[in-house]
Amino acid sequence: MSKRAQEQRQTARMVREQIAREKRRKRTLWIAVGTVAVLVIGGMIGYAIYAGNKPATWNTPANANAGQDGIVTGSGPVAVDIYQDYLCPYCKQLHDSAGSQIEQMATDNKITLTIHPIAILDSRSTNQYSTRAAAAAGCASDGGKFLAYNDALYGNQPAEGGAGPSDDELIATGKNVGLTDTFATCVQDGRYMTWPVHTTDAASARGVSGTPSVFVNGTKVNPTLADIQKAVGAAAPASGSPSAS
Amino acid sequence: MSVPRKASGWQAAQPWISLLVRLALAAVFLGAGLSKITDLAGSARAVNAYQLMSWPAAQVVGAVQPFVEIVIGLLLLAGLVTRFAAWLAAIGLVIFISGIASAWARGLSIDCGCFSKGGQLPVGVAPNYTWDIVRDTLFLALAIFLILYPSSRFSLDAKVLGPPVNMEEEFDEQARAGATPDGEDGA
Repeated sequence: MSKRAQEQRQTARMVREQIAREKRRKRTLWIAVGTVAVLVIGGMIGYAIYAGNKPATWNTPANANAGQDGIVTGSGPVAVDIYQDYLCPYCKQLHDSAGSQIEQMATDNKITLTIHPIAILDSRSTNQYSTRAAAAAGCASDGGKFLAYNDALYGNQPAEGGAGPSDDELIATGKNVGLTDTFATCVQDGRYMTWPVHTTDAASARGVSGTPSVFVNGTKVNPTLADIQKAVGAAAPASGSPSAS
Repeated sequence: MSVPRKASGWQAAQPWISLLVRLALAAVFLGAGLSKITDLAGSARAVNAYQLMSWPAAQVVGAVQPFVEIVIGLLLLAGLVTRFAAWLAAIGLVIFISGIASAWARGLSIDCGCFSKGGQLPVGVAPNYTWDIVRDTLFLALAIFLILYPSSRFSLDAKVLGPPVNMEEEFDEQARAGATPDGEDGA
């Protein structure tokens, strides 16, 4: 009797467990399905935020290249493209060690120099210095003093991590290199504030993943004066003197 | 006697160890996701720096990834579908480790972008791929532990799914009742 009762109890328990297990499995499945849905929705929200934050329009400064993502100096036969962020210490290093020679090659029309002010270090200043400086450089290009202002910005480069120069300070720097009230208005109005988004986007599409990045006739070279000069020499027309052909 | 006692010691400790592992892995994923979420464009650039996909694809991955990391982190924090979340974490970590290894193999000089930043490193700065891979492998070990031992203290799983009815728990009950698993099998 007791043995039979025990067996019955055991069978009942097994059935109960089986049902519980089944229920548990079903619930787990539904929770997993829900989780996947949350993941997909989370991902979609992420992309929506990203796409929504990305401005679709920009003003293009004077003297920009065809791609509207850089400022052109000179019209030599060899294309030199420099991607730089005004907050990047290694960009300042490149500028201080090679800038004047590269600018000379451009003004001598040995190269076509395109400087691309991009903004990838906004998170390393508390006031979006990379973007604001690049936008101000666009204003300087309108005023015909892009290279001079470029030099001045590197001369005043702030340290990473803190607040970069304010718009007023950027304007004062511009006045020091001879830029006028038009420049001041341009900076104050934020005329080119979405331009660095475009230059940065174009840089990423070209495979630029850090600054400074230098291309000579489309080929990436080490960002040092020696390597740039070597690549320019190799890419220059074979004749000793520049010809108009 | 010593063998069952040892086993029951492990059975008592395991849910607590799983809890610690779960919270540690949750912190890793929440930290990684939250550090990227404020700079989605930077996240896209960090993905782009691996040069594994086109820029349009890198933008999608870069924007989506932080949110997926946060969802995984929240699931682990709450202890909801722990084993599933641990699988997702493990798969993610295998992808991250492969990405870093491939960047290494191709001689790229990039910041892994594991916890924000990312991008190409300046000339003269050596990448630290060894540490990145060792760290991610440790995280992977945590995820695998959680796949093997998903039941943990203070988990939502226990509340939502009810008491577990798997083998280990039965053994656990038996061990608490004083019966050895061997004796039960013989009866």
